[in-house]
Amino acid sequence: MESTAQPRQSIWGNLKDNYRLYLAAFIIVTIAEFIGVKTFHVGSALIVLYPMLFAIVISVLLGRDILRFFTKKEAKKASSLVLVVITPFMAKVGVLAGANLPELVNVGPALAFQELGHVGTILLALPVALLLGVKKEAIGATSSTCRDKDYGLICHLYGSDSPEARGALSIYIIGFLIGTVYIGFLASIVASLNFFHPLALAMACGIGSGVMMAAASGTLAAIYPDYADQIIMLAGASDMLAAIVGIYFTLFISLPITKKLYYFLEPKLSRGNSRHGNTKKLKGDV
Amino acid sequence: MTMNLRNWTVSLLLTSVVTTLMANLIGNDVSIAESIPGVLSLSAIAFVGIALGKLIPLKIPPIVYVVLTGMVVASPISPIAQPIIDSTAKISFMAPITIVGTLAGIGLDFKSFISQSWKMVIVAILVFTGTFLIQATFAEIFLNVTNAFD
Repeated sequence: MESTAQPRQSIWGNLKDNYRLYLAAFIIVTIAEFIGVKTFHVGSALIVLYPMLFAIVISVLLGRDILRFFTKKEAKKASSLVLVVITPFMAKVGVLAGANLPELVNVGPALAFQELGHVGTILLALPVALLLGVKKEAIGATSSTCRDKDYGLICHLYGSDSPEARGALSIYIIGFLIGTVYIGFLASIVASLNFFHPLALAMACGIGSGVMMAAASGTLAAIYPDYADQIIMLAGASDMLAAIVGIYFTLFISLPITKKLYYFLEPKLSRGNSRHGNTKKLKGDV
Repeated sequence: MTMNLRNWTVSLLLTSVVTTLMANLIGNDVSIAESIPGVLSLSAIAFVGIALGKLIPLKIPPIVYVVLTGMVVASPISPIAQPIIDSTAKISFMAPITIVGTLAGIGLDFKSFISQSWKMVIVAILVFTGTFLIQATFAEIFLNVTNAFD
């Protein structure tokens, strides 16, 4: 149905429009790979920086807002290609799952159960958001990890101009840049506490974003080389489950809980009404 | 997915396929010739998954079909499981992800990023911390109760 809605682009047209993007992406990947994997210790935590993170930094610097090497059109194209280029990684995750199917079936109930842990987005973030004076933005921001589909859902329910949608969009944007780097650090630090089993941590990597899952599970795999394949497999399975049930989870479980908690906590924690609507309205096309 | 499959394939070849070969060579010391079967297997699985996503009219992210396709072809019921597992084992799992970071970085709307208030940055960090910790806790409890580690 898409092909009728837009003119069919020929292969040659695709090449002509995007050769600069393809070439630059290739060079950025090469540079990032030459920098390589960097590991260092902070206290007892092993921090692992992957070429992916260097690639993000280089390409953001070259992007349309800082060095302006790429045009707005190329940036848009790059965004749409993210969903294409992540598929081989997801295929790899699937192959690992298939190759370890008996084990996956074994932990299947645990995987399903820990999906309920997605309510964790609310527990810390909502009270703090209210203490900071964030209003209804907090409902959109904390009801899920605000990845693409969640933001879509909030827009659908509240309208894209609503405070709720602005809150979700904030987390969506911040999550991409900070979340990807941060989740790797978090996985390292939590692992260094030696409190959780490596496979429990692996399941926690299913956050609903393939890039974040990769960053977190890649770090864990480097910390626990003996479990590396199982970690990637479980993280991938958890992320896949989150992708399938995530939107329904947000709609029927976490959003109602967030709203209840918001109206319960807001009068107690919020500092007056002078801070209403404190997040700036965005006109960006994310 | 607003791309026809032909353009999808060309885009994949020029981005993921070439960069994964390169990343596996530089980062993982596997020669390009040795990586080719694995990279092509992964790309073929991705292609089949995306094509299935276009054919099946369910509201499920196309990525899910890719994972499921990979799972089926590598599972014990598949006649090609062994060659698929062997060839893809040569590809380090972080090799295909560098290009994802690259394109996501190029596409990032940095202006809206820096226009975010510091409060929302704190909220975002707590959102991710919370979901990671609570999911890990739930998994830990369940695995301990059912002794699934044994």
